[in-house]
Amino acid sequence: MSMDMDSVIGMTLRIGVIISIVLISAGVAIMLARGEGLGYPINEISSMRSPINSSVIPVLGAVGHVASLDGLSLIVLGLVVLIATPVLRVLLGIASFMMEKDWLYAVITIIVFIDLMIAIFIIPALLK
Amino acid sequence: MLDIILRFMEILIAGIFSGFIGSLTGLGGGTVLTPLLTLFLGVPIYYATGASLISTIATSSGSASAYIKDKITNVRIGMGLEVATSGGAIVGSLSAAWVYSHGLAWVIYVTFGIVLLTSIIPTVQRGKYEIPKPRQPDWSTKLFKLHGEYYDAALGQEIRYWGVRWWLGEFIMFFAGVISGLLGIGSGALKVLGLDWAMNLPMKVSTTTSNFMIGVTAATGSSIYWYFGYIQPFIAAATAIGVLIGAFAGTKVLIKLTNRFIRWIFIAILNFLGVEMVLRGLSIARIIVLPLVYEYSASTALSIVLIAALLAKYGRRR
Repeated sequence: MSMDMDSVIGMTLRIGVIISIVLISAGVAIMLARGEGLGYPINEISSMRSPINSSVIPVLGAVGHVASLDGLSLIVLGLVVLIATPVLRVLLGIASFMMEKDWLYAVITIIVFIDLMIAIFIIPALLK
Repeated sequence: MLDIILRFMEILIAGIFSGFIGSLTGLGGGTVLTPLLTLFLGVPIYYATGASLISTIATSSGSASAYIKDKITNVRIGMGLEVATSGGAIVGSLSAAWVYSHGLAWVIYVTFGIVLLTSIIPTVQRGKYEIPKPRQPDWSTKLFKLHGEYYDAALGQEIRYWGVRWWLGEFIMFFAGVISGLLGIGSGALKVLGLDWAMNLPMKVSTTTSNFMIGVTAATGSSIYWYFGYIQPFIAAATAIGVLIGAFAGTKVLIKLTNRFIRWIFIAILNFLGVEMVLRGLSIARIIVLPLVYEYSASTALSIVLIAALLAKYGRRR
């Protein structure tokens, strides 16, 4: 793997984690300051057995509220960025193996990417 | 309001503690986090495993960026095995959803405890040898380009190595993925078993490559957890930040920490949590129901026995 691609991948992982932690921390601070997030009261959100979880918060809907600096939507966006970071890393891996003309490993990495897409999009669509 | 901030701090501290012990013992943050959250903070186990899986991604990505720079991680071997691991993670997280929807959460407690207890053994054995005895390369060594080299700073030399038995690695990695999806942990111990024992790779290559893989496996599992609603944003936010801080502190201390006594204290904590998870699971299933005081005493007693056995077997050698 070329020198440049390695540092690009290393940087991507680091930046992804930093962005996500900044978003999550800001979201927690805003949510605590305002006492609510996406219309839910903080008491309900923060309970250990809270019904407010990833299945009741639509990702796209939440991300739409980021502009209005809603605390809960910033947290959700931060979590999405965190999950997306390894996905992006796999995509960069495909590019890097292709640049090296290592077709066997390009195909292997594409299969890993397909596994990820099955988990993120296909299984939820099938179960709906 | 104060009680909510305190609740956040409680989860955050549990995260820091888990990240710290996880990085010192090499088991990863999730292995300690889920027991702490479920046993002592009253978090339902599906939220605990969801938060743990999220935190695992944070630590894996955070530390992988440092390891890539050192060029010890073998990206080819990692990516090749990830085919099996991410497939396993899909099977595991769907199984978890089936188990929860049938009211069988106790199965997760018991399995978690057993996996935690068995993963202590490789942790204790660690450091016995650094570079494995070379094995004859086989067809998979050549086909999948399993060679590599890295500079070992401790030994002060370039280490050239090659992997064997790729198929056996894939097989073990599939199970590592299933466990990761089922229990919401990185299952680094099983991954190291696949890389180290099955494929005969040097310890440093195994651990860094496994760490690289954990992020992708956990991303697969947590996408399915996300759909089923096992990710509770308030809890996951606190643990992601906490575990990352703890793991960072752990790697800083790791270089200085050579005290065997402290190491054994951590192993004792892991032992206690493992036994306690099994007992709690059995009590939820109403197989053995003990009052909490007796449950903790029984866990302590059993941990002392286990620790004594481990010390007798492995303690003297180092």
